Amino acid sequence: MSSGMRATGTRDTVVAEPKASRAPVPVWLFFLLFVLLFWAMYEFDRRGGWFHSQVYTPYRSLAELQRYQPATGGISLERGKVVYETVCALCHNTDGSGKPNQAPPLSGADWVVGSPDRLIRIPLAGLTGPIEVKGQTWNLAMPAMGAALSDDDLAAVLTYMRSAWGNQAEAITPDQVAAVRAALAGRMQPYTAAELQAIP
Amino acid sequence: MSSKSAFQTATGDSLPADISCRWPLFVLLSGAVFWLLAGSILTLIGTIKFHAPDFLAEPAWLTYGRVRPAGLNAMIYGFCLPSALGLTLWLLARLGRTTLAGAIPVVFGGLLWHLGVGAGVVGVLSGDATGFEHLEFPSYAVAMIAASYLVLGVAGVLTFRQRAERGLFVTQWFLLAAIFWFPWIYSTATILTSVYPVRGMAQAVVGWWFSANLILVWFGLVGLGIVFYLLPRLLDRELESHYLAMFVFWMLILFGTWTGIPKTAPVPAWIPMMSKVTTVLAGLALLGAALILHRTLGADYRLLSTDPSLMFAGFAVASFVIAGFMGIAEVLSGASSMLHLSWYATARSWLQLYGFFAMALFAGIYYVWPQLTGRPFPLPRLVRLHFWLAASGVMLAVIPLAVGGIVQDGNHANPEMAFVDVAKGTLTFLRISSIGDVLTLAGHFLLALNVLLAIGAFCWDRVRIALRTATIELQEQGVNS
Repeated sequence: MSSGMRATGTRDTVVAEPKASRAPVPVWLFFLLFVLLFWAMYEFDRRGGWFHSQVYTPYRSLAELQRYQPATGGISLERGKVVYETVCALCHNTDGSGKPNQAPPLSGADWVVGSPDRLIRIPLAGLTGPIEVKGQTWNLAMPAMGAALSDDDLAAVLTYMRSAWGNQAEAITPDQVAAVRAALAGRMQPYTAAELQAIP
Repeated sequence: MSSKSAFQTATGDSLPADISCRWPLFVLLSGAVFWLLAGSILTLIGTIKFHAPDFLAEPAWLTYGRVRPAGLNAMIYGFCLPSALGLTLWLLARLGRTTLAGAIPVVFGGLLWHLGVGAGVVGVLSGDATGFEHLEFPSYAVAMIAASYLVLGVAGVLTFRQRAERGLFVTQWFLLAAIFWFPWIYSTATILTSVYPVRGMAQAVVGWWFSANLILVWFGLVGLGIVFYLLPRLLDRELESHYLAMFVFWMLILFGTWTGIPKTAPVPAWIPMMSKVTTVLAGLALLGAALILHRTLGADYRLLSTDPSLMFAGFAVASFVIAGFMGIAEVLSGASSMLHLSWYATARSWLQLYGFFAMALFAGIYYVWPQLTGRPFPLPRLVRLHFWLAASGVMLAVIPLAVGGIVQDGNHANPEMAFVDVAKGTLTFLRISSIGDVLTLAGHFLLALNVLLAIGAFCWDRVRIALRTATIELQEQGVNS
């Protein structure tokens, strides 16, 4: 206890302050440093997402993340339904039954489940004049409601129409929409039913 | 000081550094001991609520959500920081063979600091807490603390600058880096969370970053700085070694500062991943610190028992290493593990804060105080008793919490078990850890008693010397006339 009394006991009278020896750092510590640095870079490369702001744990890279994204390309019916209810349902009704003196029905209409090339032209350029739908003649004008939609959205909404309310027709792809849009090449006036009949 | 000469005749050759540090350290350290007691009593009130939820449940001021942060902040800002700064100033003066620069401003700075902590603790209890962990003090308290830090920090830098001994010892790098480190992290965190808050999750990232920088890096710098001084001083040998200490210093600074972002944080993956790999790399600082202790002791750990300060210091280094490896285990645990959301994380941070840093500060206080007064502590046996109470208290508080956290984590993964049942399952562990809290509190009373008696004895000495000098002068005048 005599030496133990030094700290809590009498104060130091020796002025010599502590010194540190110059013994080198053991080499294995540096070896370990480099091994751990290698591991750290490997681990960061593998799981860190390379500073991408959209990659969160537990995903590791943008590529992996994209695998889990819902498929796009005009066949997303959920997207089509959203677009339909925003753009079309006001006149054609949410169940595609149309509204008297306002818009013809879409469910069970040959114009909808028939030729894709005719159908795509209607929203892109509009439609005017008399048209026969399900045995009834309508004489109204529809503006080019779909001209402002993207190819993806227009394909989605047309595909939705062709598969909802009992309709059963094959999907319309964004490529088909893009082709028709290119073919119209800035056409300003709406189609008539007769004009559409001429298209295969 | 006018009576310096009178005191010197009484105590022999006091070093100038000790004399200049005397009153500044009295203020900083005795205030710190006060907040140590207050903080641990508040924390204990919080803990008792796990045994008896009705205990002090009525006043909003003493509900768990307020006493717990108030106690923890009193511990950090009331005890840890002022004692760390006090010891830093003394070490810089002593190692530089100079006196403390601006002793009188430091006295007032210390008073302002403790007033600021008082305002902060009352603010948190009254419901003014900011809600960021380790940054709970409201703005008025932060302003007082920041102003005070400016005085203490500048005094530290000036003391370093006017040093007569140009060669630097290890401790000086650690402490000087710490002086600049704290204002950087504290101002950044305060500004980005409270003054001009960043948006959304970035606030949480700032909070985590600050906690890790305070508890791992800043506590590490100061705590190791103190220990690396005490080891060679009390063992009368060289520290092993200069280069190993440099290795520890750079590993801690370079890697420690990136740590702290939990792996499930809802932020882009690179942030938690960076934290994960740097936590592992900072493990090199732990190995280095352990090697320094081992080599300086020459592998003879019995040497630690020769002095209570060495016992505290050895325990501190052991806790530093164990807490660090607990942190590494936490980041390396599997993807499904949520250890960082369990009591395990509380155990780890308490081991770092108390088992390492508070113990290193106790080592420093028990060594430095007698240098200041020129007298041993009035009740030297209590110093050893304090060590055993603190050591067993820390272990009793930390081990059950860590085990309880692992059990809790396992239960969380069990879909059959309701969340409430998982929470209740940890009660036994919490209750055992309360015993540890009681033991550490008992130790704090022993420290407070010694400090109080030491101040009393010091003041009584000075009065006696003044009286004797006056009497002699009167007698001489009587003889002359």
